[in-house]
Amino acid sequence: MPKLIIDNIEVEVPAGTTVLEAAKKVGIVIPHFCYHPALGSVGACRLCAMKFLEGPVKGIQMSCMVPAQDGMVVSTTDDEAAKMRSLVIEWLMTNHPHDCPVCDEGGECLLQDFTVAGGHGIRRYRGKKRTFLNQCLGDYIEHEMNRCIECYRCVRFYQEFAGGSDLGVMGSAARVYFGRFEDGALASPFSGNLVDICPTGVYTDKTARFRARYWDYDMAPSVCPHCSLGCNTIPAARYRELLKTMARRNDAVNGWFICDRGRFSNSPVNDPERPRHPMIEGREAGWDEAFDALLFRIGELCELHGEGSLAVVGSGRLALEGSALLPQLAGLLGAGFLCYFTDDGAGDRTATAVSLLNTDNAASMADVRASDCIAIVDCDLLEEGPMMLLAVRQAWRNGAPVLLVGEHSPLEQAKAASIEAVQISFLEEAPLGLFENPVVICGTKNSSPAAIEKLARAEARVACLLPGPNAFGAALLAREHGGTSLAAAVATGKVKGIVAVEADIPVELLEGVALVAAFDWLPTEVVKKADIVLPTTAWTEMDGTFVNNEGRAQRFRKVMTPGLPIKGLPERYHASADKPAPFHPPRVHRKEPPGGDLRPAWRVIMDLIERLGGEKTEEPLSGKLEALRDLDPEGEGVRIWEIDG
Amino acid sequence: MEQVLFRHNKPGRPVTFAEYQAEGGFAALKKGLKELSPLEVQQAVIDSGLRGRGGAGFPTGKKWSFVPRDLPGPRYLICNCDEMEPGTYKDRVLLEANPYSLVEGMILAGYAIGCEHAFIFIRRGYETAAMNLRRAIGEAREAGFLGRNILGSGFSMELDLHVSAGRYICGEETALMNALEGKRANPRSKPPFPAVKGLWGRPTVVNNVETLANVPSIITNGPAWFKGLAGIPEAAGMKLFCISGHVRNTVCVELPLGMTLGEIIDGPCGGMLQGKKFKACIPGGASTPFFTAEHWGVPMDFDAVAKAGSRLGTGGIVVFPENTCMVAATLNLTTFFARESCGWCTPCREGLPYVREILTRIEAGGGETEDVEILREHVKYLNYAFCALAPGAMGPVEGLLRLFEDEIREHVVKKRCPFKN
Repeated sequence: MPKLIIDNIEVEVPAGTTVLEAAKKVGIVIPHFCYHPALGSVGACRLCAMKFLEGPVKGIQMSCMVPAQDGMVVSTTDDEAAKMRSLVIEWLMTNHPHDCPVCDEGGECLLQDFTVAGGHGIRRYRGKKRTFLNQCLGDYIEHEMNRCIECYRCVRFYQEFAGGSDLGVMGSAARVYFGRFEDGALASPFSGNLVDICPTGVYTDKTARFRARYWDYDMAPSVCPHCSLGCNTIPAARYRELLKTMARRNDAVNGWFICDRGRFSNSPVNDPERPRHPMIEGREAGWDEAFDALLFRIGELCELHGEGSLAVVGSGRLALEGSALLPQLAGLLGAGFLCYFTDDGAGDRTATAVSLLNTDNAASMADVRASDCIAIVDCDLLEEGPMMLLAVRQAWRNGAPVLLVGEHSPLEQAKAASIEAVQISFLEEAPLGLFENPVVICGTKNSSPAAIEKLARAEARVACLLPGPNAFGAALLAREHGGTSLAAAVATGKVKGIVAVEADIPVELLEGVALVAAFDWLPTEVVKKADIVLPTTAWTEMDGTFVNNEGRAQRFRKVMTPGLPIKGLPERYHASADKPAPFHPPRVHRKEPPGGDLRPAWRVIMDLIERLGGEKTEEPLSGKLEALRDLDPEGEGVRIWEIDG
Repeated sequence: MEQVLFRHNKPGRPVTFAEYQAEGGFAALKKGLKELSPLEVQQAVIDSGLRGRGGAGFPTGKKWSFVPRDLPGPRYLICNCDEMEPGTYKDRVLLEANPYSLVEGMILAGYAIGCEHAFIFIRRGYETAAMNLRRAIGEAREAGFLGRNILGSGFSMELDLHVSAGRYICGEETALMNALEGKRANPRSKPPFPAVKGLWGRPTVVNNVETLANVPSIITNGPAWFKGLAGIPEAAGMKLFCISGHVRNTVCVELPLGMTLGEIIDGPCGGMLQGKKFKACIPGGASTPFFTAEHWGVPMDFDAVAKAGSRLGTGGIVVFPENTCMVAATLNLTTFFARESCGWCTPCREGLPYVREILTRIEAGGGETEDVEILREHVKYLNYAFCALAPGAMGPVEGLLRLFEDEIREHVVKKRCPFKN
């Protein structure tokens, strides 16, 4: 490990670390734009100048381009280096518009920070600024080329990292232009990362345009609920409206990025149709009244149809806390069926996948990125887990062959990330044994349990895409507590009542069911049909845990206070009918925000358990899962096999 | 005067394949491939003292020696014929008269470095030169000088001509390789150097047209003969000089390295135009700092010119007479460089238009005293750009500040260009 001295501080770093990163390690952050840890060094912006006093290279060098070596003595405060950095900022600012007040990036702009850090203050350049025409890049990303400082991060991410082909660099000299060949929506399923990766306001989130400044946001470390991969995110909300989602780095999971589905699926949280009050037969009610009604109706049901005619149903999207309490609830209610999955196939496939995985063979996305051969079995990653495709691309870029196995692995997914993949019919044809680090990726949507079982015999590590952010956790609990699928339960003909906890149930399964209770935050079909509705909080409105597809439990924190978004607040909450103020908080004092009387699903279950005489606790995770209570939401998460001991 | 590269020139037309061979052409190829080992060819070039004629003057044989020989897989040779330095047209004149020396030199160079596929990267404007080369390559292939098992030596090489879209930056060897690969012509960072990791990631040598065209005569006549061609003992060989501007004859001539600037202008150029007095010149292409009358006696060789504060560069001399506004001349050059920046790094992309803006303003009478200081900052700090384009572009500006600062200040004080009425 090379040892060097930066500003009189001795620092030891792994071989290959750049001097820029070495300085960062001891708390010296030198401004830089083109360098990004995920994209590497290219030396284009020339901002990270340092003076090398001793060692194999001397003089002013770009610290991102110099690997740390023994004997280096480096100064970041040297006059010449500081002058170079301030000149680079001055050069960049010759063309950058002074439009920070109307720029969405303002407040979270690397250029703002580094302009201040770079020491350039007074404009000396007297020429005109160059201007460009912007492009329409679709509904999600706003393009403002005049702000561009030509760090080339966007094209390097878009083309090299993500394999997109419809955004590139055109022109030359001071007319370099980053955009599409012509106006049009960006095609890459990872295009939203341009917003995060652009150091200034060229690419901003169109869906959150002009809504808030960085310091206005309610933010917290969170986990994406839109597939089973568990990518780390930072949702950002203001005035009870989830405005945007940013990627959060987790090297073991998603790395630096997230997919567009995860980034731009914010609207369900703000949906005006969301259940906001407990409802009995379509009528708003208080929580106590609703609980009483529910228990009364369940009692009636048992009298009429006998014990065991009730099914308690969870799902792959219900957080671990709620899922873990379901068995106790089912027991106290005398339910005949405990279901974690709705349809037979999904339950079986998920159960098979989860029982197949163990601490040695379960591949994380980090493992996929480092793999040297990848087979994708019966799976469309674009549908079941887009970020996995980005991980596959990184392996492919490093030379790993990519095989698409079976008829349910469409070639389109490879094309979407410009991966040259080979299509084969059977996994047996894949020469996995020839490689040191092969990974087989399997879906659970279109595969069969038998096919998934076969993966255990493949000489490779396995990654399975599961139905839902906590499907792994649900499958574990189902195995432990003897859960069955709702479809199987209904097929027995015994199910006359259903308590659906954040479960999506097809309408057919509800036919002939006398009592439907739904605990949910989404306005699902079940909620619309339910006799009793208990509204729960969305994942951004609560603390919780998801266990992702590789068995990694990750904690997410409450981002925002639940409640109806202030923008578009219904008239019933206005201060008075003649003074409607849809864009301002109502000046009426209330205990909680309008529409904010929601409870996390686990809390609703716990309240019920308490009413049924069970022990009330503030900690839904108990027994083996107790170890997950103090899980660091900003850590890498923990795989469930590691807590077993 | 003995001519090496221009030896085969015919008045008004290119030399033919038959003529070239009859005059001793391709004898070096036969000698090299049959009698010498690749290492011996390389050693001859090292011993000859041949330095790169594209501008940087790096010893050619040494460059070849950096190519790893035992590495399996292809090695490449590229001839850089992107000649776009303003004031430089020697490669065009050479190729329009004689494409065969280059082809022969490339086969010998390819033999020396063990290259199986060589490329000539030529700019689009050089249509006649490209036509000549295409014909020469075809004739050489037919004669068995290209292709498999050349002259029974066991050595095989293909040679392809690539007509590029052409930009100044393509003359930078790593940008050239990117362009040849079909990518944007942005330079690559060095290290790794092309000799280790070049075209398609393989060891690659990039040489200028004139450099490669000199190789056959070195093999035929020996390194000592080549060394002796120069006018001074420190130099080696002949050099094509192309002179333009206010001289009587604007010519491209082959002269011994080491002739003084005065000897070149008064000799083959026939002196200044009637009634004009020498004020300054660009000694070696647009990116070299000016020479003035005080440099009249500087021997035109790499080291001597560098010692005098400029660079021999390509040997493209542009002569300015006494009534030239040097601010305007520098502005003209800076405008070229600002336009030709590839746009990759900040100092070049944004710094050159900055310099252009200042010079434009000074020339138009709107200059300020502090502008001189800003120009000085640019001369110093553009050295830290990604490639050599921006430092080169600052050559004339550096010369302007060093030699003609009073002229700049006169612009600023008088608030107009003193050379305009």
